Amino acid sequence: MAELATIARPYANAVFELAKRDNHLEQWARMLAVLNATTQNETVALLLDSPDMPASAKAYRLAEVCGDELDDRGKKFLQSLAEHDRLALIGEIREQFEALRAEEQKSLEVEVISAYPLSDSQGDALKQALNRKFDKEIAIESRVDQSLIGGAVIRAGDMVIDGSIRGKLQKLAENLEQL
Amino acid sequence: MQQLNPSEISDIIKNRIQGLDVKAEAKNEGTIVGVSDGIVRIHGLADAQYGEMIEFDGGLYGMALNLERDSVGVVILGDYENLTEGMTARCTGRILEVPVGRELLGRVVDALGNPIDGKGPINAATTAPIEKVAPGVIARQSVDQPVQIGLKCVDAMVPIGRGQRELIISDRQIGKTAIAIDAIINQKRSGIKCVYVAIGQKMSTIANIVRTLEEYGAMEYTTVVAASASDPAPMQFIAPYSGCSMGEFFRDHGEDALVIYDDLTKQAWAYRQISLLLKRPPGREAYPGDVFYLHSRLLERAARVNAEYVEQYTNGEVKGQTGSLTALPIIETQAGDISAFVPTNVISITDGQIFLETQAFNSGLRPAMNPGTSVSRVGGSAQVPFMKKISGGIKLALAQYRELAAFSQFASDLDDATRRQLEHGERVTELMKQKQYAPMSVAEMGTSLFAANEGYLRDVEVDKVLDFESALLSYMRSEHADFMNDIDENGTYNDDVVATLHEAIKKFKDTQSF
Repeated sequence: MAELATIARPYANAVFELAKRDNHLEQWARMLAVLNATTQNETVALLLDSPDMPASAKAYRLAEVCGDELDDRGKKFLQSLAEHDRLALIGEIREQFEALRAEEQKSLEVEVISAYPLSDSQGDALKQALNRKFDKEIAIESRVDQSLIGGAVIRAGDMVIDGSIRGKLQKLAENLEQL
Repeated sequence: MQQLNPSEISDIIKNRIQGLDVKAEAKNEGTIVGVSDGIVRIHGLADAQYGEMIEFDGGLYGMALNLERDSVGVVILGDYENLTEGMTARCTGRILEVPVGRELLGRVVDALGNPIDGKGPINAATTAPIEKVAPGVIARQSVDQPVQIGLKCVDAMVPIGRGQRELIISDRQIGKTAIAIDAIINQKRSGIKCVYVAIGQKMSTIANIVRTLEEYGAMEYTTVVAASASDPAPMQFIAPYSGCSMGEFFRDHGEDALVIYDDLTKQAWAYRQISLLLKRPPGREAYPGDVFYLHSRLLERAARVNAEYVEQYTNGEVKGQTGSLTALPIIETQAGDISAFVPTNVISITDGQIFLETQAFNSGLRPAMNPGTSVSRVGGSAQVPFMKKISGGIKLALAQYRELAAFSQFASDLDDATRRQLEHGERVTELMKQKQYAPMSVAEMGTSLFAANEGYLRDVEVDKVLDFESALLSYMRSEHADFMNDIDENGTYNDDVVATLHEAIKKFKDTQSF
């Protein structure tokens, strides 16, 4: 995983800079999303993994499958990936592209896992608090996990704020075990 | 039925629950992407610092050693078998630290400062990071007070000063640890606090050492840091730094401490293992490129610091006292090869070395020190005047003896002067023998060396020299107790002292038998 990220970085940077120059960030984001979704299809994944098909042919087929969703640049991107046999990196490239895009647009995707569904007012309050903390436009993606018992866990990239009952109980258990 | 621990009293549990502060705080988290041989690769942890403690589920800790662009390489300080891919790891924001202070004296701890002697928790008030930068030039003072090891050969020929680094080097089983243990036992007289760091040794050996120290009442002022052969390599790697921090506490509070690293060869092996697993490029003998720095930064922390530094460090609580940390690193050579990588490194870092020789050991000389190659580069200025004056002749006599001994093997008859020198050398060599766990005071060492210097051994047979010595010393202790105590305390050397010694030894030889 770590090594994949390193290999994917120059591709993601190149795509991002190109998209930014032409003001095509949205289009590229969409193209990469489509490509990513396509490569995750079981049949397509099998095809991409198959050893008896040259990489350029794989790229051609992939472009065909995506059809109109890919413009010329997208097709060229696929070809250059195929040239270096890096078609497997599409998922990683998309992830890094999105990270760069979020940085550019000063937005931050925050995952909120709570024991019970968040009410609208709670969501707004959370959004404002996080906005103050990170100084970024916050997009909340909420999820319910009853095993937390109560409270919530907020996850923004590497940063994790654990305010759940489960986390507190775990801490208590660790503290008592140290006796 | 399971046994109930004393710590399970409901009051204690209640207090712990009340005292627990569980606030939701933002933490940097990462995911384990690979576990192999005690090395964990973690994706995320963007805020990790070099040497930071990384917390895993279940109270397990690791130390971040490789900070790469997309991952962090962490060594696990403990049992890594339960870690799996996908588990989370958290930053703690703390550089690895250990408890330090007087509470650790008399205890046996592991490399993280956790007690392993079954004597209950250590309630040390202070902690210190294990890696610290050594005191700078301004904070230092020259070495001018002695650390008495209590061994004639060491104190006479390679004197050690407070704040010095003196290497003990030899093959296995020649008596390196014996010298170190004698040094600790002898500090009962001086009040120097001791830290014994055992790295990569058998637990049974460590237990033996602890028992010996207890037997001689030396555990009261000693901390034993044990990272045994069965502990993970990272523990063996950090143990010397932990021990050093524990010793530094005394140095920084205006006291004197002695730390023994037994031995740094095994620490270098442990570090080599970690480095290779972290995929750092191997160099000579497969050691990583920074193996010199591994030892130099450790030994540089042994120092004598001046009173201003101590005053500043303690915020004026301790005034007018200098502090020191003396280090006795130990290196084990393979088949006497002192030109291997690690031995040459450590020889060049330290202020001198004590060479122990297999040949001398086998011929019955114990401690098996080689007086020719053993040196002390700074200890001379730290000797008390009494020892300095008396020991001057000893090294010379031994050097001349060894030269002549090699030469005289070819000559059938020797002139009188040469024969006398040979005989004198033989007796001095014999006198350098000393039993284990029997350190001598300055006055005792001085008296027997004086007797040798002044030729009182000339008419004593070689195999009677040690009997002569012990009889002389018990005579001196009973008949001249005040004189001996005075020398132990003040270490003065003048004509009166010389006259008293001459008179006493003459009288002893006239009246006593041995």
